[in-house]
Amino acid sequence: MLIDCRNIRYRYPNAEAAVFADLSFCLRGPGFHALFGPSGVGKTTLARMIAGNGPRYEGRIETPGVARTLYSYNLERLPGWSCVGDHIAKVTPPSRRERMADLIGSFGLEGCIDARFSQLSLGQKNRANLTRYLVQDFDLLIMDESLANVDETTREKILLKIKGMFPDKGFLYISHNVSEVAKFCREVVVLRNTAKQPQAVSIAGLDLAPDQPLDKSRLERAMLEIVHAA
Amino acid sequence: MLPKRIYQFVIIYLAALGGLQAIKLVFALSDYVIPSPADLWQTAEAVFSRYLGDALNTLAVAIVGHLLAIVLATVVAIIGRLTNWAGALIKVAAYNLQAYPIVAVAPIIFILLGDGLASRLLIAAMICYFPLLLSFIGIFAEPVVDIEHFYTMTGRMRWQLEVKIRAFENNAKLITVTAGSATLAMVGTIVAEFFGANAGIGYSLRIALYQSDLAKVLVALFLIGIFTSLYLALLERIGVWLQHKLVLPTGGTL
Amino acid sequence: MRARIFAEFLLIALLASAALVGGCGPPEGDLGPLTYRLKWLFNVSVVGDLYAGAEGLFEAEGLQVTVKPGGPEKDAIKELELGHAQFGVASADQVIRALAKGSPVVVIAQIFQQNPLQWIYRPDRNRFETPADFRGKTLGVTFGGNDEAIMRALMATRGLSEQDATLFSVRYDYTPFLEGRVDLWPVYRNAQGVIIEDKLRRAGEAVAFFDPNAAGVRFVANSVITTRALLEQHPRTVQKFLKALLEGWRRAVDPAQAERVLAMIQLHDRDTALPLLRQQLDITRQMVRPTAETVIGRIDAAAWKQTEEIMLTQNLIPAAVNVASSLVSP
Repeated sequence: MLIDCRNIRYRYPNAEAAVFADLSFCLRGPGFHALFGPSGVGKTTLARMIAGNGPRYEGRIETPGVARTLYSYNLERLPGWSCVGDHIAKVTPPSRRERMADLIGSFGLEGCIDARFSQLSLGQKNRANLTRYLVQDFDLLIMDESLANVDETTREKILLKIKGMFPDKGFLYISHNVSEVAKFCREVVVLRNTAKQPQAVSIAGLDLAPDQPLDKSRLERAMLEIVHAA
Repeated sequence: MLPKRIYQFVIIYLAALGGLQAIKLVFALSDYVIPSPADLWQTAEAVFSRYLGDALNTLAVAIVGHLLAIVLATVVAIIGRLTNWAGALIKVAAYNLQAYPIVAVAPIIFILLGDGLASRLLIAAMICYFPLLLSFIGIFAEPVVDIEHFYTMTGRMRWQLEVKIRAFENNAKLITVTAGSATLAMVGTIVAEFFGANAGIGYSLRIALYQSDLAKVLVALFLIGIFTSLYLALLERIGVWLQHKLVLPTGGTL
Repeated sequence: MRARIFAEFLLIALLASAALVGGCGPPEGDLGPLTYRLKWLFNVSVVGDLYAGAEGLFEAEGLQVTVKPGGPEKDAIKELELGHAQFGVASADQVIRALAKGSPVVVIAQIFQQNPLQWIYRPDRNRFETPADFRGKTLGVTFGGNDEAIMRALMATRGLSEQDATLFSVRYDYTPFLEGRVDLWPVYRNAQGVIIEDKLRRAGEAVAFFDPNAAGVRFVANSVITTRALLEQHPRTVQKFLKALLEGWRRAVDPAQAERVLAMIQLHDRDTALPLLRQQLDITRQMVRPTAETVIGRIDAAAWKQTEEIMLTQNLIPAAVNVASSLVSP
């Protein structure tokens, strides 16, 4: 079991309607999972609740077997007082230096490690930020639109790299890209507004692995299922 | 090359002098009320070197007082940021204390510390300390979530890092506030000298006022304006240099 | 185009300045309401001025006069020139400095026949009978003030220079004197002198005063002034004003009127206790009317001449101003 959410109820301060009304879902085992849904449905709020730094809520969230959860999001910035390479190196434990170098190479960051964060493109910023999370010690990494500004081709390469590099870790990938979540994720939790019950529906994705051929008809089915559920 | 501020000040000063001369001419006022250009020139010749020394003395005290205030405001703002109640208490105390006009507090300072350097320094520091403190508290208490999040998540956040992030992210604001408070430091020193000290341009200004000598007052104001502009220009240069140093890359390619 | 804009700007600036200083220069005909700007705040030193205002003596002369308090930032001479006041009180050194700079000011009365500025000291520690006793002592002066000029004149009578005594810069706070760091401290004998004396006597300390008059330095104190133009164009108004004012002073220093006068001062000076006010009034009386024969408001030309000489000797004015020509008894 990776994440077990039971009967979550939550209302934003000063809001009339609840954002979560008896929300329950379950994600099993390590792997690449997704949280999908329209804007404003509460994906980020739920992700923060899972990471343990969200607001107080009713219900229960358990992450058995997960000792350390990290939460990253696409607006994060690295401090500007030294270059990106130095920052990443500084937060990388000595035992993971090799992995760091591998990620920098795979994510196409070699050319900008000597630059300040503010000078990077939005896509480079996303990649640099994700790199420093991937060299940390974690069991579950929540990626809240963490690659939102990266072009599609690079993004696919990055996702496959992550999947290949961390087969035993859990990932919760938040994205608005239906084909992406359908293609790369094992389970896609579709979060819906409170008018629809159940509020969360789990749909199986293709969980595409590196060098695995893509079954286009399966992908289309999965995408249709996700869109239909949302 | 002289900083732009100096030119601006000289233009304003000359315009004010011109305005005074126009008033003098229109209303046929004597040199006692508004000095003539010749009177002003003669006075300047007579007192300029003495007033220059006085103004430099004042500037030195203002700079030291300003530095003291910056250090103190930084320390107190960092302490005030640690807990909510300490921050709130310091903020309220700073608001209340800065509401007291320095002219009301100055006599107590002079009684306790005498009319020497210590009183001038303290008053100079006090007058720019509270505005600095309030700004610094605001800056150091405001999280830079998008940067701090990673360090908090990974358990790396320390108070030194937090202060460093917030100071760096708000460096433009900090530089503006610090440069802005330099004028207050200069004003504070002059007020201190005017009320109780025995040195500096404020002291000379007071004697000139006792003697109803507007020519001397105008010479003193010219020097005060020049030195304040110079100090501000210097701080702005340091600010630009700092920002350049902090923000621009050290090397490498993009 | 630019020149035109500049010209328009200059015109607007001049008009604005005119509005600010409004009413400069003596207007013709009826003067209307008059302003009398004092040198200092309302206290016993201006008791006659207050009395004339409070008892309607100006109205009795057909004048509408507002008596306004002075202060450290007020300068009656400047106000006269700018037309904000028609009569005022200024110190003699102010008048002489103004004359040196071409100010059209004239002195029409001298209220204090004896300068109330004296130096307080502790007789059990020092004896100051002549300026010769200043040698090696710490002497309080307000640099730039007329007490500095008087002190330097006193020292000069005995050939003392700054090397022979320490001049200590005096401010509003007399702690250095109370702490014994300064031997002589300048006070207005009829005002602070009484208060400090009382304070020290209560603490069991004896005090005495050094009077520059006794050492032959007769530096004139405050005087009543107006502009030469006003005097020449409205001599009757000046006469009426002076008549009412001097009558006010005559009654204010009349011992028979003391209780009435004290009640009036109390309205303005709430911080000084009645017994002290009484002492202040007694001393003021002696200085305004030292003898029964003294004509109140008499201008002591010899003292004025000496004052000018002192200022000239000390380079406080660049050249003689012949102050006598500006002393006018209307």
